[in-house]
Amino acid sequence: MSIILSVMREDTFWRILLFVHFLLAVGLLAAVTLQAVAVLMPARQMAGNFIDRSPVPAASYTPLIVVLYVFQALMGAWIYVKYRTYVRIPMEELRYFWTVGSFEVKEHVVTMGLGLLPAYWYFWRQPQSAEHAEVRKWVTVFLAFCVWYAFIVGHVANDFRGVGS
Amino acid sequence: MTQTLDVGEGFSQLDSSRATGAPTSATQTKASKFGTFAITFGIAFPLLYTAFERLNWPLFTYHPVLGNVDFWRQPAGVGPPMFWYGWIVLAAISAFVVGGIATIIPGHWLRRATVFCCALAALWPAALAALRIFITDWATFDADFLNSVWVAAVPAFVGAAVITYYVPSRLAERVWTSWLLIAPIGGLVVLGYSLLQPWFLR
Repeated sequence: MSIILSVMREDTFWRILLFVHFLLAVGLLAAVTLQAVAVLMPARQMAGNFIDRSPVPAASYTPLIVVLYVFQALMGAWIYVKYRTYVRIPMEELRYFWTVGSFEVKEHVVTMGLGLLPAYWYFWRQPQSAEHAEVRKWVTVFLAFCVWYAFIVGHVANDFRGVGS
Repeated sequence: MTQTLDVGEGFSQLDSSRATGAPTSATQTKASKFGTFAITFGIAFPLLYTAFERLNWPLFTYHPVLGNVDFWRQPAGVGPPMFWYGWIVLAAISAFVVGGIATIIPGHWLRRATVFCCALAALWPAALAALRIFITDWATFDADFLNSVWVAAVPAFVGAAVITYYVPSRLAERVWTSWLLIAPIGGLVVLGYSLLQPWFLR
């Protein structure tokens, strides 16, 4: 850490970290949204020969979503240290209570999603099994909700004091 | 479209399992054990996390200004204390142990235990809330001693035991995976409600 801080200013380091967090969040958001849409609105039949490209099967997103979710949670937990001291205190002083409260809810939402990841991964190991089709669908939708909520609230907090604010 | 295109993979899995015989059954047992672990972990983790957050039981406290980590819950020193990491780690360790135990007990016991724990998780805070309403609105004597999580535990345990006894095995079996969604959503409702007064209704 001290090596990095000898090369750049502390502010710049945290802003870069926050920006990487944002970029990965966009990737996670795209993957989990595509998968959630695929389970909510599955196509009933093949397109035939009219389209010469196969769509990416929904199950293939699973490892990417698990890895990105865990990585994002860890990265968020790291940035959270800075948020707690540098962002939240002025937020409270300026009476941005809804923003602070929404961020508190974000911590819990992300944690709940984290706990579901082993089951989510297990259900997607056999995407064709009818046994867990319903729960697989709703666990995926719940994860998509967690990612969307975290993304929007994180973005609002960033607008208060973050990259480009 | 997604499901249709995946059918081929499904058939190939069936074929390979038929061809390989005995080793596959060992693999299936392993997979089903992992499934039991994963589902139980997914149910236990949100329940435990919610309980630890509400009781404020972190495994450790992090002081971001000093960069110190102290065991269990510590008061604010220089700068604010952070408990979130401590709740997550404690809930993860506990849920890991619960998931591990789930893989070695019989399935019907596990389903019953899940019903009991989930009923307990709902009844415990409900009993505490009911006791508090009783103390402030109904009691004609000094009933402050009833305002305790441990007093509320008694009716909660009895209620959970009665529910578990009367729930048919088939229903417990059928709803088992549904707890995976009920537990985190219920946890979020409880945690969200606790944040209403300090942040959203201020």
